[in-house]
Amino acid sequence: MFHTEICDLLGIKYPIIQGGMAWVATAELVAAVSNAGGLGIIGAGNAPAEAVREEIRKTRSLTDKPFGVNVYFMSPFVDEVMKVIIEERVPVVTTGAGNPGKYIPNLKEAGIKIIPVIASVALAQRLEKMGVDAVIAEGMECGGHIGDITTMALVPQVVDAVKIPVIAAGGIADARGFLAALTLGAKGVQMGTRFICSKECTVHENYKQAVIKAGDRSTVVTGRPTGHPVRVLKNKLSRKFELLEEKGANPKEYEALGAGKLKAAVEGDAEYGSLMAGQIAGLVNEIKPVKEIIEEIVNDARVLLDGMVSGKKWR
Amino acid sequence: MEILDRVKKIIADQLGVDEDEVVPEASFIDDLGADSLDIVELIMAFEEEFDLEIPDEDAEKIKTVQDVIDYIKNHTS
Repeated sequence: MFHTEICDLLGIKYPIIQGGMAWVATAELVAAVSNAGGLGIIGAGNAPAEAVREEIRKTRSLTDKPFGVNVYFMSPFVDEVMKVIIEERVPVVTTGAGNPGKYIPNLKEAGIKIIPVIASVALAQRLEKMGVDAVIAEGMECGGHIGDITTMALVPQVVDAVKIPVIAAGGIADARGFLAALTLGAKGVQMGTRFICSKECTVHENYKQAVIKAGDRSTVVTGRPTGHPVRVLKNKLSRKFELLEEKGANPKEYEALGAGKLKAAVEGDAEYGSLMAGQIAGLVNEIKPVKEIIEEIVNDARVLLDGMVSGKKWR
Repeated sequence: MEILDRVKKIIADQLGVDEDEVVPEASFIDDLGADSLDIVELIMAFEEEFDLEIPDEDAEKIKTVQDVIDYIKNHTS
C-alpha cells in the first residue's frame, strides 16, 4: 500500500522522506528513518566537507539502506561537500536554498539521484530539463528557509508542470497530511518537524519540548528583509529579529544576530537559539521512535482512506 | 520588433514593473525588485521568446537588462 514511483526510484519501502535539517538530521536520525523504510537525509548545512564525510560514514555504519545528504547552497563549502558526496557514493542528494544546476552533470555521472527542493513551478521545470530525478515541492508552512507559496497551492501546480515525480513538503506530520499530499498528485512526502520529536533525533530535549509545546500560531518568519526568510518557533531570539526588522536593520545585523543560533538551539538554548520548526509543530505532541512515526502514518492513512469511502470514523 | 522592446515587454510583464523602468543599466535584483525565483522565470521566458538555451553558468552572469540584450545578440543569428 502506498508504494509509489518514489519508492522504486530510491529503493525504499514507504514514500516518506526525512528533511535534511542542518545540525538536526545527524547519522542517528538518518539511519533510523532509512532502517524504518523511509529515506533519511543528512543535513550538511554549513558544515565543512570532512565533517559531512564523517556523518556519511557513521550513517553507513548504522544502516545498509539508502540515505541521502542535503546540500545547503548558502554554505561556503558547497563545492567541497559535493565532491565528498561523489567520492562517498551517497545514493541521493537533495538541495536547498539555491539552484543546483551546475552540479547536476557530475552527480548524474556518479549515478547519484538528485532531488532539489523547489518553491516555484519555473525552477521545477528548469531543473527537470537538466535531468533531475524528482523534485521536492516545499510550501511555506515548513520550518527553516521558506518560499512564498503554500503546500496546498504549490504541489498540484508543480505536479501539472513536470513529468518527474513530485514530493510534497511543508505542513505534513501525520496520515492526514500524507494522504492529502498524495491526493494533490505528490508521489511522496518529506517531513522535518515531525522527526525532530523522535526518540532517535539527537537534538537537546529542550528543542523537542519546545516543538511539543508549540501550538498553531507558535511559529514566526524572521529575516524577510534579507531575502532569506526563516520560520522558527517564537522565543526571545525571534523577538530580537522582529525588533531589528522594525528599526530597518541592514543584512549584516541580521547575519550577526543569527550566527550560531541554530547550533545553540540544537544544544538546548530554547530562549536564544533558533528553533526552526514548521507550522505543523502544533500537531506534534509526542516524542516517538522513528519506526512508530512512519508506520503509524502508513497504517492510519489506510484506515483514513477506507473511511473516506465507507464513512467509517478515523480514531 | 527590436530586441530591446521584446526584452522590455517580457521583463515588464514578469516583474509587474513599468516599461519605462526597464532601462539597459537596470539591475533585476537591485532596481527592478526581482528575487532569484523571478530570475529563473525571466530566463525561461527569454529562452522561449528568442528560441535559446541559456545554461545556468551563463544565467548566473546576467544581472542587468543590458546583459540580457548582449547575450541575446551574441547567441542568435
